Amino acid sequence: MGFAKTDIFISVIESHKGILYKIANAYCRNSNERQDLVQEMLLQLWNSFDKYNNQYKHSTWIYRIALNVAISFYRKAKTRNNIFSTQEIFNFTGEQENIVNNENSRLLQRFISELKPLDKAMMLLYLEEKSHKEIAEIIGITETNVATKISRVKTLLKNKFSQITT
Amino acid sequence: MEETNFVLLWKEHYEKIDQSLAINKLLLKELISQKAKSAVKSLKLFKFVGIVLAVVYLFVLGTLISIAVLHYSSAANYFIFSMTAIFFINAKALYDYIKHLAWAGSIDYNGSVTAIQEKLARLEVSIFKHTSSMFLQLPFWTTFYLSNKWFPQNVGGGYILFQCLLTAIFTWLAYWLYKNIKAKNADKKWVRILFNGSGGKHVSNALGAFKELEQFKLE
Repeated sequence: MGFAKTDIFISVIESHKGILYKIANAYCRNSNERQDLVQEMLLQLWNSFDKYNNQYKHSTWIYRIALNVAISFYRKAKTRNNIFSTQEIFNFTGEQENIVNNENSRLLQRFISELKPLDKAMMLLYLEEKSHKEIAEIIGITETNVATKISRVKTLLKNKFSQITT
Repeated sequence: MEETNFVLLWKEHYEKIDQSLAINKLLLKELISQKAKSAVKSLKLFKFVGIVLAVVYLFVLGTLISIAVLHYSSAANYFIFSMTAIFFINAKALYDYIKHLAWAGSIDYNGSVTAIQEKLARLEVSIFKHTSSMFLQLPFWTTFYLSNKWFPQNVGGGYILFQCLLTAIFTWLAYWLYKNIKAKNADKKWVRILFNGSGGKHVSNALGAFKELEQFKLE
């Protein structure tokens, strides 16, 4: 029973590993902290796995928990002790250095990481092309509020890009 | 830059990463089995030891009060009164501690981001607020050793003055700390010094998060 649960959990995480990576990347620029955050998100997901409500998609469940952990982690003064110090749960099969080569892409990552924690959570969902309805459900605000905020943050990002390019 | 380009840029950035991102299943299995359990266990043990020590402390205080009451003599009036006050203040603190532990344990992260963050921030601020009630026992530690047998009739005026001043200073200090250890003062230097390492920074962060949440929901 426990074995099956572990396998199901691992397969769910395997299918949605990108979500965790992107959230960790947006909230932590430091690789050691990022590793801690990924572990914290995985532990919290594991602890909540029994209570998973299948009326929601796995991705919605992961977004909610991972974003909550990331925001809490972000403002914690002291972080949990790192359980694995040398190995990372996420690995790259190719050469990571060659993956990102677009300057605008780097700038977007930087600007996203500079956003306030809640704006950042909302923009991550927007960039992942989640509907306003789903974003509203995950964040806990109205759809109208989501639309207003996304438009505001997009204007802010546009301004930042134009400041850099002019 | 066109608005839609943000989504395209994001996709471009993560497309290759998604393809080459692999998960170390062995480590993940280990994390959620052995080591995760031990990490949770040690945390639980730490909290459990804290509660046991507080219960033992209350038991000692309770025993002392019971002995004093069972063998009542008016000489022990100061002692009984002071120790009873200290007992109740500490009992209330223990109750609050257990309540907060239960509260923290019941927070399910699978809720909307704003609702969970509000709960977490509220919890941290509440822990901080309750800590201030511990200072109310300060004046009673300046009176428990007094006895009707020798105080005030058998001591000099100097000592009476000293005792009154001591109790008055501690009463004022306890009241002042109780009134001023508030969430809104969490970022003040004296609070940070007083609570260094025991929550001051957390509360300051929690307050910041609280303000951000309020603003975020309103806009």
